[in-house]
Amino acid sequence: MIRLLLPAIGVVSFFVVSLATVRILRPRDPKRYFLGYALLLLVATAVVYRALWPLETLEDVLGLLSGLLLQLLACLTMWNAFYSLLWGFSGSLMYDLFNDESLRDRERLIKSYAGDGAVDRILARRLPSLVRGGWIERRDQTLQLRPKGLLMALGTLAAFKVFSLGMGGGVK
Amino acid sequence: MKVLVVAVVLFVAQALLVAAIAAIRRHSNIYGTIILVSVATTPLVFMLGSLIVREPLSMEGRVYLALLHLSLGGYLFHFMTLPDRSVTLRIFVELWLAPNGTLSLEALGARYGVRTMIGSRLQQLEEGRFLSIGPDGGLTLLPRGQWFGRFVTSGRRLFNITSAN
Repeated sequence: MIRLLLPAIGVVSFFVVSLATVRILRPRDPKRYFLGYALLLLVATAVVYRALWPLETLEDVLGLLSGLLLQLLACLTMWNAFYSLLWGFSGSLMYDLFNDESLRDRERLIKSYAGDGAVDRILARRLPSLVRGGWIERRDQTLQLRPKGLLMALGTLAAFKVFSLGMGGGVK
Repeated sequence: MKVLVVAVVLFVAQALLVAAIAAIRRHSNIYGTIILVSVATTPLVFMLGSLIVREPLSMEGRVYLALLHLSLGGYLFHFMTLPDRSVTLRIFVELWLAPNGTLSLEALGARYGVRTMIGSRLQQLEEGRFLSIGPDGGLTLLPRGQWFGRFVTSGRRLFNITSAN
C-alpha cells in the first residue's frame, strides 16, 4: 500500500507548483502550465515506481495504473475546481452578486451580461478563440460550424442521448 | 495490456450502468448517479477481483483494482461536465441543429442567450439554497451564497484572476 504514497506526492507537488506558477509567473493561460505539470509528474511517478517496483506481476502493473489514474484524477479535479469555481458561470454570478449590490436584481444582472453590443459578454469571451481555433466560421453576423466543431457537436449530441442529459449547456 | 483491457471494460460497464439508470430515472441528478454507481460497485470489484482479471489476486492487488475502478468513475464524472455544463458545446449543438447549419448571432441569442442561461442558472442556485429570488426579481444571497461569493472573491484574489466569463 506504500506504493500509493507516490501518487500522493505527485498530487501535492502539482498543487504547490501550480499555485506558485499562478502566483509568481501570472501566466495569461495557466491551462498549458497545468497540463505540462500534470504530464511531467505522471512520467516522474511512472519512472520512480518502475525503479522501486519492477513490473513483474499483474499486481505490479495494477498498482502502477491505479496510482497513475488516481494522480491524474486528483490533478484534473484541482484543475477543474480552479476553472469551474473561480472562472465558471455560477462562480462568476455569485462573485458579481456578492461584490455588487446593484446587480441583486434579475433584470439588471441579465442586462450586465447582455451588454449593449451585438454580442453578449459570455459569447464575446468565447467567439474569438472558437474562430481562431478553427471550430466555427464567422461571416459578418452569421456563424457556421467547421468540421472540427461539427464532430464535437455530434459527440455532444450523442452524450445528450446516451446519458439523457436534455440539451446540456448548464440549462435545466 | 491485460490491465488496460480490464480498465476499459470497467469504465464502459460503469458508463452503461449510469446511462441505464439515467434513462429510467430521467429527472435524477447525473452526478449523483455516477457517484452512486461508482461507490456501490467498488466493493463488488474488490470481491470479484480475481475473477475480473482471471488471475489470483492478493488483498493488495484487489485494493489496487478497486481504486482503479473508483478513479474511472471519477473520470466519468469529469467527462459528464462537458456535455452537461459547457456553454461552448451547447453553442456547437445549436449550430448543428440550425437550418443549413447556420445561425445569426441574434438567432443564436434567441435559442441560447444570456436570458436563458442566467435564468436557468439562478433557478439552480435557488434550488441549491445559494440565493432566493423575490417575486419582483430581487436576488438575496443566502448564507451558503454568501460563503460561495466570499470563497470565489478570495480565490480570484489569490490566483490574480481579474476577469472571468
